[in-house]
Amino acid sequence: MSTATVEQRLQKIWETPKGLWGWFATVDHKEIGVRYLVTAFTFLVIGGVEALIMRLQLARADQALLTPSMYDQLFTMHGVTMILWYASPILSGFANYLIPLMIGSRDMAFPRLNAFSYWSFLLSGVLLYIAPCLGQAPHGGWFAYVPLTNIAYSPGYGMDIYALSIIYLTISTTAGAINFIVTILRLRAPGMTISRMPLFLYSTLTVSTVIVFAMPSLTVACVFLLLDRHWGTHFFHVAGGGYPLLWQALFWFWGHPWVYVIFLPATGMISMIIPVFSRRPIVGYPYVAISTVLTGVVGFSVFVHHMFAVGMSDMAMSFFSAGSMTISIFTAVQVFAWIATVWTGRPVMTTAMHFAMGSVALLVIGGLNGIFTAVIPVDWQVHDTYFVVAHLHYVLIGSNVFPVFAAFYYWIPKITGRLMDEKLGKWSFWVMFIGFNLGFFPMHLAGFAGMPRRVYTYPAGLGLQPLNMLATIGAFILGLGMLMSVVNLIESLRHGRVAGKNPWNADSLEWETDSPPAPYGTVHIPTVASRHPLWDDHEEEYDPDNLRTLDYDRVTLASTWRDAEPYAISKMPMETLAPLLLAIALFIFFTAMVFELLWIALAGVILTFAAGCFWLWPRPRPARLEVSA
Amino acid sequence: MNTVANSYVENVHKPLPTVLDQDRGTFAMLLVIFTELFLFISLFFSYFMLENNKHRWSFNNPPKLGYALVMVVVLVTSSFVLHWGEKQVEKESRLAGRIALAATIVIGLVFLTLQSFEYLSHWKTLAPYSDSYGSIFYAITTFHAAHVIVGLLLLSYVLALPRYAPARESPYRPYHVAAMYWHFVDIIWLFVVGILYIGANYHL
Ligand code: HEM
Repeated sequence: MSTATVEQRLQKIWETPKGLWGWFATVDHKEIGVRYLVTAFTFLVIGGVEALIMRLQLARADQALLTPSMYDQLFTMHGVTMILWYASPILSGFANYLIPLMIGSRDMAFPRLNAFSYWSFLLSGVLLYIAPCLGQAPHGGWFAYVPLTNIAYSPGYGMDIYALSIIYLTISTTAGAINFIVTILRLRAPGMTISRMPLFLYSTLTVSTVIVFAMPSLTVACVFLLLDRHWGTHFFHVAGGGYPLLWQALFWFWGHPWVYVIFLPATGMISMIIPVFSRRPIVGYPYVAISTVLTGVVGFSVFVHHMFAVGMSDMAMSFFSAGSMTISIFTAVQVFAWIATVWTGRPVMTTAMHFAMGSVALLVIGGLNGIFTAVIPVDWQVHDTYFVVAHLHYVLIGSNVFPVFAAFYYWIPKITGRLMDEKLGKWSFWVMFIGFNLGFFPMHLAGFAGMPRRVYTYPAGLGLQPLNMLATIGAFILGLGMLMSVVNLIESLRHGRVAGKNPWNADSLEWETDSPPAPYGTVHIPTVASRHPLWDDHEEEYDPDNLRTLDYDRVTLASTWRDAEPYAISKMPMETLAPLLLAIALFIFFTAMVFELLWIALAGVILTFAAGCFWLWPRPRPARLEVSA
Repeated sequence: MNTVANSYVENVHKPLPTVLDQDRGTFAMLLVIFTELFLFISLFFSYFMLENNKHRWSFNNPPKLGYALVMVVVLVTSSFVLHWGEKQVEKESRLAGRIALAATIVIGLVFLTLQSFEYLSHWKTLAPYSDSYGSIFYAITTFHAAHVIVGLLLLSYVLALPRYAPARESPYRPYHVAAMYWHFVDIIWLFVVGILYIGANYHL
């Protein structure tokens, strides 16, 4: 006879020990997911503050709030922070938290690697922000074109920190991507065949694959840049037979697919949210799934077309427009699927739905003016003007920030167990939506009027002043709208209504767990019989003989990649400091490289190896797993 | 739509499997190899792009084949030895596996020694800072050498493992995963030789 209930045993097996050690050593995907979300959101705030400072400077003509060099540093830090440290990690945060719950697994495939991804993401961000603290932030724009970024024109630590922190981040991102791929392909609940996966899994899977293939070229580019700057090589020096275009080629081989990395998971989230609030399954599930995958595939071929057909001079410009042109077909498929879903459903206009619909609207606008920039004469007229700034923010904010807010309103109740206030939420949405359009629409006009991007000021009397004033006011309104949501979240923690398991009456498995979920997820490993597990008649957790509780050790179920037939038991690791130590060792290495302290760098390498061995070394299971059965 | 394709869903009274999952690590290593492969593809791509400026490269006599070909033989041998060792471990003869592992490590060290001799023989006429050819030549070969070192570290870790894993787990998985990486590094060397040495010598 068992002395403890199944729940108690599972709790004992899976919970992270309390206290400081437990906090640093945790491998729980939910804990790590929340940390990802908080950290990435912090980077959004930092990048946002940088943007607002720039907007203050540009509000009126001939202002001197910032020096030109400070302005250069600001837009570079803003771009780098937003693209690399906010837009993609925030999606990893959701994926981390949600994917194991969505597939009915007890954790990610590699929980320790997951912790390592997080710590190295955090520490690489810390490394990046050492630069402004030294007063030497990178200033070459977020794509850091050579020759401007060579040592001759960019002395100081700024560009070194840019390159090294990006190399560090690529390690973190690649590790995370590998983890997602294995998790999605190996740990799905019995019956969740590949054709029944929630669409968010399709987008995360695609994006992770893209990362695995695309990341290395960014690493190579940054290594070359460092070598050129400090070790006398000639990769980019024309005088030594080098090729400045090599930087652009390597950079965009990563940069182009990266747009989809930012964009696809967000569409995946919209594809989860819209059907729930339209009270019907999504229209054209297979088409949405396939166009998600094809977007990733096409991401690469577009790059090839850049390289061999167009040449690369207009790379910077054609980046976002060509991106939105080629994906426009696949995006259109998704957009039509969403519209048809809303059209034929019975929409419930919650805040999450507002944000989701708002981002669809922005995507359509962003896509339309993408076509503009693809028209050659227009292209020449607006090249490197504020038109581009406007366009890329429509695409990025429409395809990332708004879906992320939709996801916040939709999934935060799962994470905190409390519902956010709908009224304040809708206010926040409208303020953000209006502020955004007010802030960025005038930039199109400023671009047509000839205002170049990346200028720290402009003379009065060109008629640019009213437009810029509007843009600044809009940007602040947008910031205010975001702030309202943050207040809403903090308020909800204390006063929010208790959410319960499934406040939205949604269809996917994460809503089968408690809110917030127990450390082990569901008590019984669920079984899945359709695309909409919680909407069908099948009882996911029906398990009268307690065969699917796995309450004897920290383990979860491995299943085949296509049919999700269970075939083995995956052992899961216990809490450990190894991931943190490994991340710190790498941090020491990269920081030492910035200051060219080669002996310390070597020590960092040795520490890395030591931490790796400590990590992998087989250990007996701790006594606390010896639960009375 | 709601037809049930999966026996576990139909039959909730069927117990779960009990075998331990052995493939997670292999799968992850496969993905690591993919991403590393793209690292080298980026490097080779850079080589070809810089080759457009060939007329400005200072080298008139391309790198000699001698060392490189010997090094091919060395690495390929190591791969065979390691593979044999893995087969032995699979057959539960651990000692043979360990010896093969140690031999592989020694051969790997020989490879690195040869490479440093090769560098010395070039250094007078060609250095990383001579021109872009020197830069890319040393970049690719050093990147590869760094991977050899990582491979060696992995193999030494496996060699040091007490019983290749705690009791209930398979005895040879860490061995297998490290070996995958080692074979990959070997294959990359074939491409390095093909492109940097043979290609340059025969103007392919
Ligand atoms: C909070 C709202 C935001 C405001 C007010 C804002 C404002 C700005 C401004 C004023 C610039 C500089 C334009 C120039 O001088 O050329 C800029 C550049 C940029 N922004 Fe934003 N931005 C915001 C959010 C975002 C987000 C969410 C992302 C990405 C996900 C983003 C990505 C970029 C990029 C990539 C650049 C180009 C940087 C460069 O030129 O190197 N921004 N933004």
